[in-house]
Amino acid sequence: MKIGIFLCHCGHNIKHTVDVARVKEYFQKFLNVAVAEDYPFLCSEPGQELIRSRTEAEGLDRVIIAACAPTLHQDMFKDLVKKGGLNPFLLRRVSVREHCSWVGDDIGKNTDKAIRLIKAGVYGSSHYIPLEEKQVDVTQSAMVIGGGVSGLSAALFLSNQGMHVYLVEKEAELGGHVRKLRNVWPSGKDGSELIDEMVETLRDRENVEIFTSTRMVSFGGSFGNYEATLETPAGESTVKAGGVIVAIGFAPFDPISKPELGYGKDKRIVTTLELENGLDELGLPANPRVAVLHCVGSRDEQIGKPYCSRVCCINALRAGQTVKEKFEHSYVESFYMDVRAHPKGGEEFYEDTQEKGVLFTRGNVGEIIPTPAGVLVRGEDTLFGELLEREFDLAVLSIGMSPPKDNQYIASLLKITLDKDKFFLEAHPKLRPYDTALKGIFIAGTCSGPKDMEESINHGRASAVKLFGLLNLGYAFVEPFVAMVDPKRCSGCRACEQACVAKAIKFDDGERIVRVEEAACMGCGLCNSTCPSSAIGLKGHADSSINDEVGAILEAI
Amino acid sequence: MLEQTVSRVLTCIQCGKCTGSCPESGKTPFNIRMLVRKQQFQSAIDEAIPWYCTSCGACTLRCPRDVKPSEVIIDIRSLLVEDGQIPLAVQKALENTFTQKNPWGRSRAKRAAWTENLDFEIRHVSETAEKRLLFVCCIQAYDPRCMVIPANVARILNQGGVEFGILGEEEACCGNEIRRIGEAGLVEELQEENKGNLQEYGVKEIIALSPHCMNALKKEYGDMGIKVSHYTEVVWDLINSGALAISKPFEKKVIYHDPCFLGKQNGIFDAPRNILGAIPGVTPLEFSRARETSLCCEGGGGRMFFEVETIYQRNAEVRVLEAIAKGADLIATACPFCVMTLEDPATEKGQVVRELSEILMEVL
Repeated sequence: MKIGIFLCHCGHNIKHTVDVARVKEYFQKFLNVAVAEDYPFLCSEPGQELIRSRTEAEGLDRVIIAACAPTLHQDMFKDLVKKGGLNPFLLRRVSVREHCSWVGDDIGKNTDKAIRLIKAGVYGSSHYIPLEEKQVDVTQSAMVIGGGVSGLSAALFLSNQGMHVYLVEKEAELGGHVRKLRNVWPSGKDGSELIDEMVETLRDRENVEIFTSTRMVSFGGSFGNYEATLETPAGESTVKAGGVIVAIGFAPFDPISKPELGYGKDKRIVTTLELENGLDELGLPANPRVAVLHCVGSRDEQIGKPYCSRVCCINALRAGQTVKEKFEHSYVESFYMDVRAHPKGGEEFYEDTQEKGVLFTRGNVGEIIPTPAGVLVRGEDTLFGELLEREFDLAVLSIGMSPPKDNQYIASLLKITLDKDKFFLEAHPKLRPYDTALKGIFIAGTCSGPKDMEESINHGRASAVKLFGLLNLGYAFVEPFVAMVDPKRCSGCRACEQACVAKAIKFDDGERIVRVEEAACMGCGLCNSTCPSSAIGLKGHADSSINDEVGAILEAI
Repeated sequence: MLEQTVSRVLTCIQCGKCTGSCPESGKTPFNIRMLVRKQQFQSAIDEAIPWYCTSCGACTLRCPRDVKPSEVIIDIRSLLVEDGQIPLAVQKALENTFTQKNPWGRSRAKRAAWTENLDFEIRHVSETAEKRLLFVCCIQAYDPRCMVIPANVARILNQGGVEFGILGEEEACCGNEIRRIGEAGLVEELQEENKGNLQEYGVKEIIALSPHCMNALKKEYGDMGIKVSHYTEVVWDLINSGALAISKPFEKKVIYHDPCFLGKQNGIFDAPRNILGAIPGVTPLEFSRARETSLCCEGGGGRMFFEVETIYQRNAEVRVLEAIAKGADLIATACPFCVMTLEDPATEKGQVVRELSEILMEVL
C-alpha cells in the first residue's frame, strides 16, 4: 500500500502552533508512506496541483489531507484525488486546524496531537474500500403539502419549470391564513385577491393536480421515488413524487393560555385577527380608548414560546392605524417591549403610526382586569418607572405564530425532525435553511418558524428551486454510505429491522438473515449500533476502522 | 460576572411585566423591575425596599424571560439577613423559629393544644394504619383566631371517614415564609427535622391545612415520594364521592378569595369553589380579580410578622370594599394568612370573613 500525506500550514493557522517539520519528518519514516509533503495552502491552485500530481505520479492507494475540518473544501479535495486516479472514497481528511492548532498554543503538545490524529487517519483509512456514488432514476414530479401562500409559490415555480406538481391541502379552500386577511400590509390589498390570482394560474395548468379537503395517510419510498397515499373526498389516491415540499404553515397563538390577559372572559379583549375582521361589530363608543399589546404569545418562556414571531409588531401598528382611521378622535396606546418593524418600509410605517396619534408606552402589560366601566390595563411605563392603571374600551392582543397543528403528524409520517419550539428543523439555519435531513424533502414558509408574507413566498420559491435542481436531470447520485450485512455474523435476530427508521432492512426467510435495500437506506447508522453481533455496518465506516483509529490515538508516538 | 442563582437576573429585558403584575407597585416605593436592574448592575439597594414583597409569585409566574423576580428578592434579602440589616420584627421571627420552631415563639410543647376540645382522639401519625399526616401550620396551631381551623378540618375528615394522624409537638415550621425571608440555613434545618420525622414514621400522604405549608412540602422539600394535597382537595373528593353529605343549606351570598399559594402558585382554583357550589343555598360571587389575577392579601413573604414603613391602602381593604359593593354576605377563603389580613378591615367595615372549614361546620 502506498500512502500519501499532505500537511497544510493554512498560513499561520496551523504552522503557528504545530511544528510541521517534525510532523513531516515523523511520517517520512512511517511504514507504507510514499509521500509526506507540507504546503502553505493546500486549497490554493499550486497546492491542489501538488496533491493531484503526486497522487497520479506515485500511484497512491490512500491520500491523507491534514488541514482544516472536513466540512470545508471536501468536494474539491475529492475531485482532486479522483483526477489523480484514486477512488475519492479512499481520501481521508484529518482536522489539524479546528481539532488541534486552534485549540491550544503549546507547540510541543499540539505537534504530538497532530501526529496522533494523522496516525489515526492512516490506520483508519487502511480499512476503507473503494465506493461508487450510485446513480438513481428520479420521478420528475413534486408533492407540495399545504396550499398557503408559501406552498402556492412553490407549486407555481415548479409548474412554470414544467415539473408535475401534486398540491395537497387539508382545508376545502386553498390560500391558508392569507386568504382571510382583509388588509395585507403594506399594499392594503385584500388577501383573497392575492390568493385568487395564484390559484387561478395553478388551476389552468395541466401539470398541476390540486387535492383539497385531503389528508396524507401514509408516506414511503426514498429520494427520487417517494410515494404517498392521500385520503381525498373522492377516495384514496396514490401519488409518486421525486421530492416533497412541506409548507403546512402556522397556527395563530390562542391567548387563552395567558389567563392574566383576560382573553375569553370579556368580549372587549380581542386579537389582532378579530379586530381586522370585526371592528364594526365591536360596538365601540364614538371616541374609543383602545390598548394594543405587542408580543402576546411571543418572546415568552412561560408558555414555551421564547421566539419573536416577526409579524406581530407590524400587525400591532396596523391595528392602531385601523382604529385611528375609523375613529379620528380615539385614544390608542400601544404597549411594547421593543418595536421590531424590520421589513422594508416597516420603520417608516412605525413613524407614520406615531404621526397618526398612536401613543407608544414601553412596558409589557402585567394584567388586564375586566370591570364594568371597561378593561383595566395594569402595567408599568418602564421609561417613567411608574405603574399605570388605565381603563380602555377595547384591548387588542397582537398574537404571534405557534407551530402548525399537524406538525407532529407530518414529522412522523415523513420522518423529519421538529426544533425545540416544535417548528420543522432546517438542515442548517444559514447554509441549508430549506432542506431537511432527508434528501428531496424540503420545508417552506412558516412551518419552519415565524415569517412574514414576503419571506414565506421567497422561502417557498427557494425550496422549489432546490427541489427542481435535484430532479431536473431525471437522475441523481446518492451517497454510497449505506448499511451492509456480514452474512457470516448475522444471527437473524431482526433487532436492526426494528431500529431502522427508513424501513430499509428486510428479513430473508430462506437464509434466515437480514438484507439491506440500498435505495431506501439513509445511512444513519442506527442498525449498526443496535446489532448485538456487529454484523451490520456502514460501507466506508467499518467498526474495525474506528477501533484502529482509537488504537492509533492511544499508541505511543 | 454576576453569579446566577435560582433567579436569572442577567437575562432580564426590563419589560416591566413583573411590576405590572405586582400587588405592591404604584402605591408603595417597591418597583421589582428596578430592583432586578439594580441587581444586574450590583448597585446599592435601599435596605427597606425588599421587604415590601409579599411573595405572591405573580412576577415569577408571568416573567417572559423566566428571570424569577421573586427569587431575586430572596437573593437580596439573604444578603441583608447575612449582614443583620433586617427589620427587628423579622429578626425576632427568625429567632423564634430557631428556638421554638414557630415564628411567634410560642412553646413547642403546646403545638397540639388545638386538639384539646375535640370529642374524639387524634392519634400520632405513627399509630395510624394509612400513615396520612395532617400538617397543621404554625399560625393554626397557636393563634386563637386560627386554631379553630385544624379542629374543624379534623372533625370534617373524621366525619368523612378519613383516617389521619398528626406529628403534635414534633411538627416544625414548614419553612415556606422563612425561605422567602432569606434565611436559607434555617430553612435547611427545619426541612431536615420535618423530613426526618416523615421518614421515621413512614408517612405516605400529607394533607396540608395552609396553602403555604402545602407549597413548601410539595415543591421545596425535594422528591420525598409523598403525596401532598391541600385539605380543600380532599374535602371536595369526599363531597363529590358522596362520602361526606351536606345536610343543611347556607342561604348566603359568598365571595371567594383565592389565596396566592393555593391558586396562582399551585393551580388549585376549583376545589374550594366546588365545595361552595355543593352547598345548597349558597349564591357564589366572584371578585373582578379572581383566580390567576386574584389580588394578594399581603400576608405572605414574611409580611405576617412585621409592618412595612409606608402608609397606604391595604389590598385587604380593597377586597373588603369590593365584597361589600357586590353585596356579599361574607368573604370565604382557604388560607389562615388571608383570614387574618382580610378580617382586620372587614371587622371595621362590618363584613364577615370565614375560612371554608367554618362554613362547612355549619352545613354538615
